[in-house]
Amino acid sequence: MITISHLTKTYGGFRAVDDVTFTAQPGRVTGFLGPNGAGKSTTMRIMVGLTPATTGEATILGRHFSELPNPGREVGVLLDASAQHAGRTGREILTLAQRTMRMPKSRVDEMLEVVSLTDEEAGRRVRDYSLGMRQRLGIAAALLGDPPVVMLDEPSNGLDPEGIIWIRELLRRLAREGRTVLVSSHLMNETASFADHLVVLGRGRLLADMPMREFIDARVQPAVRVRTTDATALKDVLVRNGYDAAQQEGGHWIVRHARVADIGRIASAASVPLLELAAEEGTLEQAYLDLTSPEAEFTACPSPAQPQEARP
Amino acid sequence: MTSTTARFTQLPVLRSELLKIRTLRSLCGALFAVPAVSTAFSWPAGLSDTSEPGFDPLFTALSGVVPGQIAAISFGAMAVSSEFHGGGLRVSLAAVPRRGRWFAAKLTAVAVPVLVVGLVTGAASLAVARTGLASAADGLTWGEQARGVVGFGVYVTLMALFAAGLTALLRSGIGTLGVLIPFILITSFVIGDMAGALTDFLPDKAGQVVLQQTSESLLGPWTGLAVTAAWTAAALLAGAWSLGRRDA
Repeated sequence: MITISHLTKTYGGFRAVDDVTFTAQPGRVTGFLGPNGAGKSTTMRIMVGLTPATTGEATILGRHFSELPNPGREVGVLLDASAQHAGRTGREILTLAQRTMRMPKSRVDEMLEVVSLTDEEAGRRVRDYSLGMRQRLGIAAALLGDPPVVMLDEPSNGLDPEGIIWIRELLRRLAREGRTVLVSSHLMNETASFADHLVVLGRGRLLADMPMREFIDARVQPAVRVRTTDATALKDVLVRNGYDAAQQEGGHWIVRHARVADIGRIASAASVPLLELAAEEGTLEQAYLDLTSPEAEFTACPSPAQPQEARP
Repeated sequence: MTSTTARFTQLPVLRSELLKIRTLRSLCGALFAVPAVSTAFSWPAGLSDTSEPGFDPLFTALSGVVPGQIAAISFGAMAVSSEFHGGGLRVSLAAVPRRGRWFAAKLTAVAVPVLVVGLVTGAASLAVARTGLASAADGLTWGEQARGVVGFGVYVTLMALFAAGLTALLRSGIGTLGVLIPFILITSFVIGDMAGALTDFLPDKAGQVVLQQTSESLLGPWTGLAVTAAWTAAALLAGAWSLGRRDA
């Protein structure tokens, strides 16, 4: 378990992390989200003792990271997949980790297999690795000590489609095994596919700490997607029943604050021919943008008026 | 995921640091350069004119220390600076969060190979130079030769550690080499003869007394090494302070 309590980090007058409190529980994947500059990396760096907190505490399994007798066996950390000397081979880097953690030698080969790096690839220098291979290597090093707590910063970065599916399943499996898994990301669809719980930061402050489904439902209103051959009749019947419907670019209609069962019954009663009728599930991306757009520090194109409309 | 009780001693950290050195070509190359350049320099020195008034057969034989120490300094600087490449230090400190313990292991992993290589190099330089010096070296006692060889090994080790400490302080291998190499090549040669007694206490001048049969220095062979050791200790403390205080 990772416990963060009233954590604050200031650089000069700038509060990079501002009174943040949350816990990451074992047995589930906690997604750690926030725009650039929100304080995610600073929080993670404090957790592993790379920088001291100004006030407040970050503990792992009840202890400060620097008090852990053999930290690699308690916490698997991947902060930056490129933070390796490029002149070493993948196997050498894992052997270094294996020796420091005093794990059996066989663990190196086991981990290479877990992350699907071949013998030939493991013998290559890291400077010749693709970003995806570096990520796999970093994950192998993080998991080498078989740690009960796993903390990964942007693990799907640079992975190919197979790699992304692989990491998703790996994270789910680690949580199923009862480990505490904290994963930072800015890929919403990705995070939605593996996270059970969300912690969201914005401008150093905690914006949300709740189960993912709850987070989405609280932020995104349900909507129904309808397509018809008789737009006038559809519009008519919806307005008469007090629904707010708008035609979209693709020719379909989105009915806000509505459920499929209601719209289906109304359309059928009015004999409006329907070609399509589906629930528009709120996505994590919509919920996240709704929450963070006023908070974003580096928004390329801010559109706070209609955050739900934003699409990648 | 249960073995949290495993005792964590210094040894695995040290073994890991030694492996780090073995697995980088640049570090192996710098280490190999110590004997290569030292003997390459000592051998022709042994063929030089032996009738000059200031001729010192021991220092002539061990004069390879001048380029040899540069290889040792490069080794010490690169062993530490490799940690600053692309944030590797973060990985190291995430594995060994007690920074003092990590730095001690790193320094041991620098010192041990340099000492071994330095002792071998001192002996090899002396042997190679004596083939040229022939009878000019007959005046050297066994004790003086042993002192020269041991002194060679200890001196290059201290210089490598000096560079390691300075690199941790400056967080840059290039910065360290930029300070130390001109200092050794220029300052000691040029200013050294002019500034008199004080230069006897410079780290390189002081430590090289041990390599001379007779010296006009204010320092003796072992007190000279002690002065160099004091410089090294100061650099290491400054490096450790910087490492402990700054964000990784």
